[in-house]
Amino acid sequence: MKLDETIALLKQGRHVPEETVYKLCQQSQELLMYEANVTRVDTPVTICGDIHGQLHDLLTLFEESGGIEKSRYIFLGDFVDRGFYSLESFLLLLCYKLRYPDRITMIRGNHETRQITKVYGFYDEIVRKYGNSNVWRYCCEVFDYLALGAIINESIFCVHGGLSPDVTTINQIRAIDRKQEVPHEGAMCDLLWSDPDDVETWSLSPRGAGFLFGKNEVDQFLHKNKFDLIARAHQLVMEGYKEMFGGGLVTVWSAPNYCYRCGNVAAVLTVDDQMDRNYTIFEAVPAQDDVGNAIIPTKKPQMDYFL
Amino acid sequence: MSRSVQETDYDALSCRISAIVKGYMPCEVQIQKCGFSKYAEMHLAYANALRSTSRRAYGKIRKTVESALPVINYGTYLRTVSIDAVVSDFLEKKRDSEQLQILNLGCGSDLRAAQFLKRFPQCRVVEVDYSTSVALKIKTLKESPELVELFAVGSSVASQSTELITERYCLLPCDISKMDQVTTMLSVHFSPDAPTLVLTECVLCYMAENHSSQLIKTVQDYFNEGCWLSYDPIGGVEGKDNFGSIMRDNLRESRQLEMPTLMSFNDPAAYAARFASGRVPVQIQTMWQYYRVSVTSEEKQRLKALQFLDEIEELQIMLSHYILMDARWNKVRPA
Repeated sequence: MKLDETIALLKQGRHVPEETVYKLCQQSQELLMYEANVTRVDTPVTICGDIHGQLHDLLTLFEESGGIEKSRYIFLGDFVDRGFYSLESFLLLLCYKLRYPDRITMIRGNHETRQITKVYGFYDEIVRKYGNSNVWRYCCEVFDYLALGAIINESIFCVHGGLSPDVTTINQIRAIDRKQEVPHEGAMCDLLWSDPDDVETWSLSPRGAGFLFGKNEVDQFLHKNKFDLIARAHQLVMEGYKEMFGGGLVTVWSAPNYCYRCGNVAAVLTVDDQMDRNYTIFEAVPAQDDVGNAIIPTKKPQMDYFL
Repeated sequence: MSRSVQETDYDALSCRISAIVKGYMPCEVQIQKCGFSKYAEMHLAYANALRSTSRRAYGKIRKTVESALPVINYGTYLRTVSIDAVVSDFLEKKRDSEQLQILNLGCGSDLRAAQFLKRFPQCRVVEVDYSTSVALKIKTLKESPELVELFAVGSSVASQSTELITERYCLLPCDISKMDQVTTMLSVHFSPDAPTLVLTECVLCYMAENHSSQLIKTVQDYFNEGCWLSYDPIGGVEGKDNFGSIMRDNLRESRQLEMPTLMSFNDPAAYAARFASGRVPVQIQTMWQYYRVSVTSEEKQRLKALQFLDEIEELQIMLSHYILMDARWNKVRPA
């Protein structure tokens, strides 16, 4: 398999043969298998939030933040669902991972599961593009091997959703058997589903899973593990990022104009060797150019409104 | 343009059926407060009948039932139930009146009339829409014995009819942007003195501003006592919020659908002002406010168990751009 050729195809949003996807997924699994649940990453590094199949915006993300050839990246998950190019976005990241293994860390999001992708579009996208669900199955196998978190320079904890009442130390995360479909409850589920909020203590989440946690929980976790920051994604932020709890937690969101209708900007967070934080804000690729030609080549996208 | 507006009815209907299939509806408010029965059966009968009257609409329903996202099911549920609750509340308050009237402007495939006809024997319902929409609805109702019975349509009406007129239920073609047609329809079918509920559910948003304001004035002037219930999108404040302008562009591009007043009646106050005309008390809330305030925590738990809702923030953005407005007037005994 010629990686660079596949990368070129993917960047154009063009069809990749099933056979190629199979090989890509196999190789990725072999690579991911040896990663710890929580991987260690050095600075400088750029932290990226949800992508959700918005391939053209993912390409903008790389352009605006230095590119994989020059920079290191952590993706906080939710590569797939909602957008029209879940497969291409996910495979592009896998290709980069195979091509530049030290430059990209991929963390599992709550959408990287069989159950959620059946509801939120990735499964349908594959059946539409391939006429069967094989490629979806290959990708789901890879999902099961994705890391649950990352630690930057022993001071920033990266995770998709947030904290869990079952987890007080990183070692407890390391002990999870992650190679499975995300369970409906427990530590692994919470890491992918929880949200920070203005709450006194662990509270019920308005989503179907995970918990709400507040400043107290964040402060305790940071103190106990000697960290300065929790970097997470999972929640749409209109301004692209949002720091909370006196800077102890940040939400990074990297899907501009989410679902092609929310009107938000996106951000990535670059942490340099001095541990300084720099946010890069970027906007969505327009659907059409000035003369009305489609930039995002979609067949009549389904815009969901109440009509 | 009229065709693209007409087709939005298929969206509304298929979303409603999706929410029913997924178990969002009927809910307790509809069953207990509104007294609905056989709600799911009624809708499924209509969907099945469409199979032989409109393959296009039926195909849309099938596709939507398969793929509607939870956020769409939530919004459809909230829109439907909140309207049902206000209609029920108004009719209940006026239960002692000899006669009650409902005027459903741009009714499309709305079936709620059958439920209120059954519960309020003194209630008459007149529904109007484009002639092709009305013809399809008549044909579809006639196709199903259950619906013929529910709507008390009777066997006398031919299924090729262009209008349906029975003692308590009428389905009429009427271009609601033409005031001569509206005026005639009102004078033939309505008593100006009976308390009347007027419903526009995603209808005013497709009309030119002068047409909708004429319609509001004509109808409000005709009835001495009424309640106007309107559900519509609002564009939000430009510069601060670009949901509306993106919506306008998306719908224009993908559906050739125009919403001429989306950005002018762009917030609840601006939307309500067109109904107030100095004397009418108006209540208006966004669907997000309705969800937060009016949906009980038990009901929220029930909804949550139906499907994983992955994005509360997205739900909030969507629902904050739709409103339900309720304007009541009484010229005999002003509030």
